[in-house]
Amino acid sequence: MNVMTRAESSVASDVVKISARDVQVHYGTTQAIKDVDVDILDKTVTAFIGPSGCGKSTFLRCLNRMNDTIDICRVSGRIMLDGEDIYDRRIDPVQLRARVGMVFQKPNPFPKSIFDNVAYGPRIHGMTQSRAELDEVVESSLRRAALWDEVKDRLASPGTGLSGGQQQRLCIARAVATGPEVLLMDEPCSALDPIATAQVEELIDELRTNFSVVIVTHSMQQAARVSQRTAFFHLGELVEYGETGTIFTKPRDPRTESYITGRIG
Amino acid sequence: MTGIAFLLLFLAALAGYLVNRQAARAIRAGGAPLHSLGLYHGGYAALMMLVPGLIFLLAWLALQGPVVDALVMAGLPEGTVSEAGGAGSAGALVLAEVRSIASGRIFGTPEAWKIEAAARMTALHGGARQLMLIGLAAILAGGFAFARSRVSAAFRARQGVERIILGLMIFCSLVAIFTTLGIVLSLVFESWRFFAMVPVHEFLFGLNWEPQIPIRADQIAGAGAFGWLPVILGTFVITVIALTVAVPVGLYAAIYLNEFASPRFRAVAKPVLEVLAGIPTVVYGFFAILTVAPALRSGASALGIAMSPNTALAAGGVMAIMLIPFISSFADDALSAVPRSLRDGSLALGSTRAETMMKVLFPAAIPGIVGGVLLAVSRAIGETMIVVMAAGLIARLTINPLDSVTTVTVQIVTLLIGDTSFDNPKTLAAFALGLMLFLVTLGINIVALGIVRKYREIYD
Amino acid sequence: MSEISAIGGPAAAPRRPGITNIARRRRSERVLQGLGLGAILLAFAMLATLVGSLIITGYPAFTQTHLRIDFPVTEARVKSDKPEAGNYRALMQDAMVAALPDADPAAARKLAAMLSNSAQFALRDRVVADPALIGQVVTMTVPVADPYDQLAKGLVRRDTPEAERRLTDAEIAAFDRLAAEGRVSRPLNTALLSNADSRFPEIAGLKGALIGSFYALMTCFVISFPLAIGAAIYLEEFAPKNRLSDIIEININNLAAVPSVVFGLLALAVFLGWFGMPRSAPFVGGLTLALMTLPTIIIATRASLKAVPPSIREAAMGLGASRQQVVFGHVLPLAMPGILTGTIIGLAQALGETAPLLLIGMNAFITAAPATPFDSATALPTQIFIWADSPERGFVSRTSAAILVLLCFLMAMNALAIFLRSKFERKW
Repeated sequence: MNVMTRAESSVASDVVKISARDVQVHYGTTQAIKDVDVDILDKTVTAFIGPSGCGKSTFLRCLNRMNDTIDICRVSGRIMLDGEDIYDRRIDPVQLRARVGMVFQKPNPFPKSIFDNVAYGPRIHGMTQSRAELDEVVESSLRRAALWDEVKDRLASPGTGLSGGQQQRLCIARAVATGPEVLLMDEPCSALDPIATAQVEELIDELRTNFSVVIVTHSMQQAARVSQRTAFFHLGELVEYGETGTIFTKPRDPRTESYITGRIG
Repeated sequence: MTGIAFLLLFLAALAGYLVNRQAARAIRAGGAPLHSLGLYHGGYAALMMLVPGLIFLLAWLALQGPVVDALVMAGLPEGTVSEAGGAGSAGALVLAEVRSIASGRIFGTPEAWKIEAAARMTALHGGARQLMLIGLAAILAGGFAFARSRVSAAFRARQGVERIILGLMIFCSLVAIFTTLGIVLSLVFESWRFFAMVPVHEFLFGLNWEPQIPIRADQIAGAGAFGWLPVILGTFVITVIALTVAVPVGLYAAIYLNEFASPRFRAVAKPVLEVLAGIPTVVYGFFAILTVAPALRSGASALGIAMSPNTALAAGGVMAIMLIPFISSFADDALSAVPRSLRDGSLALGSTRAETMMKVLFPAAIPGIVGGVLLAVSRAIGETMIVVMAAGLIARLTINPLDSVTTVTVQIVTLLIGDTSFDNPKTLAAFALGLMLFLVTLGINIVALGIVRKYREIYD
Repeated sequence: MSEISAIGGPAAAPRRPGITNIARRRRSERVLQGLGLGAILLAFAMLATLVGSLIITGYPAFTQTHLRIDFPVTEARVKSDKPEAGNYRALMQDAMVAALPDADPAAARKLAAMLSNSAQFALRDRVVADPALIGQVVTMTVPVADPYDQLAKGLVRRDTPEAERRLTDAEIAAFDRLAAEGRVSRPLNTALLSNADSRFPEIAGLKGALIGSFYALMTCFVISFPLAIGAAIYLEEFAPKNRLSDIIEININNLAAVPSVVFGLLALAVFLGWFGMPRSAPFVGGLTLALMTLPTIIIATRASLKAVPPSIREAAMGLGASRQQVVFGHVLPLAMPGILTGTIIGLAQALGETAPLLLIGMNAFITAAPATPFDSATALPTQIFIWADSPERGFVSRTSAAILVLLCFLMAMNALAIFLRSKFERKW
């Protein structure tokens, strides 16, 4: 169903980073995701939109196998990252998650210092050889998350002491520090105030230069502002996927249209 | 007689309830709108009789014995007890003998004045009981008359009843305070008497614990030594042994249950650990002497090590078994209280479950876990039956786990089992030890409960 | 979409730093799992060892070896005008001589020690009840003394040197001979539950302890249950949030963690010392246990009251009910299953509590079951303590058996609590 018109200038890359085919997700006996096929491009922000409970977050969690941590959840179909099936038996979810980072709805800094929060990923993956190298990774990650200037004088103070927006940017820095190729964001701004939201949105746009970013959002405006491609989910199905501009101005599916017009007016 | 008094009390209260309720209903039948239901008028009468009646009965029963004793002692003929200096041990002995004669157990041929005193005691008790019944009846009648006189359409019986019930509930919650006060007062009072005989510094800093009592008052040589340091050192040794085993095992068990166990395994393991936690400590004590100590001894002799029969190791090891479920359930709760978002955050960064547990969840749960471990320490210090049965009696100044040591609780129990009269240092020493035990465990508990409470507030 | 797939194609994966150490990380994860599983299995093994060793040592005590023997009750030993004053000890010896006709009579007389000391009293009671038996041969089945009981159960090894055994070769031979005649039987040891304590293991039972524990537990329940509910309702529903309430709350939590032996000291000093209550009485034991159980029940009751949703309170208040009417009419009944569960668990703890009862003298040696809660008695755990301390070998297995009885009661109480919880618990 997703025959797309080729993008003009707004899509920075047309290299497919993740391609999903026939993805089904069951929680116990209820089906949460039905037959989803989607290609996510590299160096692009892709937004998943749709009403609550439509399965967009569930699908997002399939992309780094976070659903594995829920006992009753079963995933079938194929999800390829750079042509490798991430549900293949040979793939270690631990390594996968280092390549596909995730930022959650509510900021969840560890009860550790700001430095240790960011250094956590590099340390467990053994990415750095020396303290100096680690310092460098932490600084560059915090700079990328646009947080460096605010916290550089108090790296040893606890991450939980920051404001909500700062905490979320800390979590982004933490995810960036492991050097992921894809960054998944599950409603990253829903717990933030408008100013913090604006900061994070600006950040997402910058992150696009290095990563493929997938963002789940409730807010249509946000999807329109930050994404180049948008996927509309409804009742566990992917209804429509394409250029963000196209989806918002000329949706082909009546469901998409009613959702968008109902919200945007 | 006491039974009759209680029966009278309850029957009278029931009667008062019925009569007053009937009276209230009669008013309503007469057409006047009652402020409160008849039920409350009846309840008001019942409470007005029950509460003062019960207070009177309990006070009477508590005081009757001591008052009668004092009267009997005061009525003894000149020169029988007074030569021993009035009260004291001689008085107590005479009193005990008179009591046993009064209850019909006569050993040998007591002097005539003792038999006479016993007769007086019996008579006094009989009279006291009759007086008690009369007093109770008067109180019941007064209470009823008061309640009955207040039955009227406008009387707010419900408010009256509710006020009394509120008062009763406040009393109930104060019982816990009274208990603590009772503990503190009795321990301090008896310890005070002990420190009048044995100087405080000798107790606190003495290196010898040989609680013998002189058989005769003039026997100075056998006065014994009351330095508690070897006793507290023994307690310390056993506590350290128990925690060295129980803390790692309990924590690893909690980590496994919390992070790695399948739901089915958890559903089996948790109740099994609860069973372990519910086993009375006397059973653990017997297990120590029946199985663990012989096994340790044969193990040690196989290695060529001589081992005393009541080693600190056996007692501490068995205490560890008792503490494992305690620590593991505390740690499991603390780990479960860590929000799921932290776990997700760590996993999403590509950490293994073990890394998530050891680097994120466990550090986050540390305050709760520390609180639990501290409570376990206080339990180990205060644990009695395991050490009474499995540890030694002789206080030694040693930290060798293969030696036999004694503990504070062992000494308290052995000093107080059997003959207990409250006037020799041997008995009173137990209260001094009890006071120290109470203070130490109270200190640990307050800190531990404070930590646990703070921890709960963080993640609530 | 197919177009894009065609254009994209797999990009070369950059070198992942994590790949090099993943094997080591997985290994340390397995180590942690192994340690955790090991810790739990260790706890299981301890429980299995404990229960296993108790069952192995305890099960022989559930049977008791008996000997069927004929007592020639002669006028020479028992005068028919005064049957209660007869020489029954000699009758024991006569019976042994008769039972072992080819043995030396002097040696056979000594073998009367094979019979439990209680046998002569059982015979006396029978003869006193029916004096017509004098002059006849009375056949009775009586318990054998502890060493022979151990022998019959195989707990005494026959191959140990005679000097290290409690029974001589001749005594064993005599017993074997009687056994060969079919006189020895091993019925269920009903005396374990129906007899009170005794110095002789073969007739010692738990009746006194069971009744003592029952009285103590009833006293504990009658006192602690209403007090705890009153306190919990006040603290949860009525108490103002002030310093006094805080102090009461902290005090209750601390009281729950005070070592039990301290409660024993309190009872000894206050109940026995100041109020002059009787020593060794189950009533005083129950009073002490009530003070210990109080915090447990208060905490459980408050938790159950808290679990009742505020909407219930608001609904009843909206109808004009007073706060007490709401609490006693609606909240308390809904919280009752949880309260009862907590109470039963608290009572189960109290049933196993030993140290405070020792201090108030409930470890006395008493051979009659208490008639009232104010008589001297033991309780189950203190009886276990007494038996564990007794030197006779027969008490080892009796101690284990008594523990098994205690554990059965605890299990029954916990099962009842779990049943109540699962049957009546509501999820709001």
